[in-house]
Amino acid sequence: MADVPKDSPLRAVQIEALVVMKIIKNSAQFFPTIATGSLVGMEVNGVLQITNSFPFPSVDIPAADGHQDTASNLAAGAPRAKSNATYQNEMIKFLREVNVDANNVGWYTSTSMGNFVNVNMIENQHFYQKELNERTVALVHDVSRSSQGSLSLRAFRLSPSFMAAYKEGKFTTESLQKSGLRYQDILIELPVTVHNSHLATSLLHQLPSDAPKEELPFPPNLATLQQDPNTPQPPLYPNFDSLDLSIDPFLEKTCDLLLESIENHHTELNNHQYYQRSLGREQAKITAWQQKRKAENAARAAAKQPLLPEDEWQRLFKLPTEPSRLDVLLNSRQVEQYARQVDGFTASVSSKMFAVKSNLLPGE
Amino acid sequence: MADKDSFLHLARPLGPAPVGAQPSTAPLNVVIQPQAIFSILDHSLRRPADQERVIGTLLGTRSEDGTEIEIRNCYAVPHTETAEQVEVDMDYQKQMLALHLRANPREVLVGWYATSSELNTFSALIQNFYGQQGDGTWPHPAVHLTVSTVPGQDIESRTYISAPIGVTAERAADSCLFIPVPHELKYGEAEKSGLELISSAKDLEDRSQPVMTDLESLERAIQHVLDMLDRVSNYVNNVLDEEATPSSALGQFLMNALSLAPKVDAADIERDFNAHIQDVLVVSYLANTIRTQIDLSNRLATAALTLGTGDALGGEGGAGAGARDGEKQKGGDRRNKGRQQRAQEA
Repeated sequence: MADVPKDSPLRAVQIEALVVMKIIKNSAQFFPTIATGSLVGMEVNGVLQITNSFPFPSVDIPAADGHQDTASNLAAGAPRAKSNATYQNEMIKFLREVNVDANNVGWYTSTSMGNFVNVNMIENQHFYQKELNERTVALVHDVSRSSQGSLSLRAFRLSPSFMAAYKEGKFTTESLQKSGLRYQDILIELPVTVHNSHLATSLLHQLPSDAPKEELPFPPNLATLQQDPNTPQPPLYPNFDSLDLSIDPFLEKTCDLLLESIENHHTELNNHQYYQRSLGREQAKITAWQQKRKAENAARAAAKQPLLPEDEWQRLFKLPTEPSRLDVLLNSRQVEQYARQVDGFTASVSSKMFAVKSNLLPGE
Repeated sequence: MADKDSFLHLARPLGPAPVGAQPSTAPLNVVIQPQAIFSILDHSLRRPADQERVIGTLLGTRSEDGTEIEIRNCYAVPHTETAEQVEVDMDYQKQMLALHLRANPREVLVGWYATSSELNTFSALIQNFYGQQGDGTWPHPAVHLTVSTVPGQDIESRTYISAPIGVTAERAADSCLFIPVPHELKYGEAEKSGLELISSAKDLEDRSQPVMTDLESLERAIQHVLDMLDRVSNYVNNVLDEEATPSSALGQFLMNALSLAPKVDAADIERDFNAHIQDVLVVSYLANTIRTQIDLSNRLATAALTLGTGDALGGEGGAGAGARDGEKQKGGDRRNKGRQQRAQEA
């Protein structure tokens, strides 16, 4: 690990089947609360191989009503909590004894409907990316989208330019202009592949049991056909769930979330406008004061009196601080994410609808 | 997997054991979740080169009466085995259990696994350790799961519980009777999509598969359905040409399937279809417009000052206009959603 140059970027992420299953189990168990965990593995020639994972301890909060928000906030912040860092180190120490790759390579989180671009996620990934060997990823598993067909598992990293900006902690208009950072550049998505071990491949060939090879006698009647143990189970792949027509709930949910994001965007813009207005007011006051002082000085000069200092305004007036644009950036990234999600849904729902139409109206 | 064994569970007088400390040997059902099996296989791949089998602890849930056990999770425990003795790292097992329970407080210790089908004296010893009072599963029986990992053969799994056996007191610790119990592998709805992706790589040479988009998996599913339809229509044609043996049961089955197709008026379909497709397309169009608006708003917000001469307010006005436009879209979106809901009601 150490002899690899620090700046060699990750090109792709390869996940073991075991990790996929573990993440799904953990996420489904805690849904709709966010579940988080740690990933271990190693990096080989720019490909990050994730070979095992373990969940972080769930936060023990009495399940009283109204505490839902705090609980999920705590869960979302779990990857960078101090107690979990010790938990993680301890777990990795134990895993090393049974020959599991003992390098931490990132963390995973579950989400619902692509609603994951937020400050928590950024802070977690920043925590991992700055502290450790810097080659770490965040895996995002979308529980709701996975339930509707194909698995949604994506790997993200923070871009170097965003890391630099986040380190300084300044997201003002000026700094953004200087760095040229745009909301599209916050996260870099890495292609994800799933990899099976030989034993797992062997297991999958038995799952579900294959249709019998030899010729079977024809069933005498319908009841026997339906109860025949030889009738094969539907195969795992392809998954016929993706043929399901009811996609409207997903579209609707995404629209709701999209509206929420616009709402947030609007609030942020208002904050900004407020800032601009108060800045303008302060500046007007300063100019007025400066002019007044100048006139006074001119009068004093005429009266041969000592002049008053002209830079006193810096003590008298205080310019308002510009609100951070980070929220706006993240929100924009989130909106982009939703829009792409809607695109994806539309593509599949329209193809399904055309299929249904031509099925019901043959010959058109 | 090897689920087709049938079992006859006989109640049997138990061996000599102190009264009141009788572990139950009642029959039970074991359900295994696939991720536990994947974990075991991974452990088996990572075993030390000189070790035949490796063992680990099974975690899961137990129904209240103790007759249903669900194995949800497991972890590896290092152990060494020679011809004369076996050594299990008890400390490791205890500490790892504590760590796992912190993350999954609802899971309990249910037993242990080994990666070979063989049952020997050491198995009995370990089984008694897992089933003991205190740290073990007592008063419930410990479940022993064996998963064979012989290369070139099917992976075979078996589950056992144990009963004490009547031997001399000094040999009681390393002897027990393994009673096979039925088990099955079950996967839930949530795991289906994951298993789909994993198993799509099973026939590939490099055993890896990129994550598919929704559309790709839809295409594959449709392709598969078309293939199956081809097979069926091929068979039906062959029957018609008197080349294949007809079967009334199959015919009936096909008839039932075909009669499921709804009878709807062509005009109704046309109307509903058009209404719905318009809704969907409008939603997509609006989503993309919003994206553009947000992009524009961001660019205006950061570009304003580069124009020089401090007309930041003008720039902000532009951004504000962007937001107002956004709101207009929002209104449109709401209207559209209302329409969508109406369409659903209709």
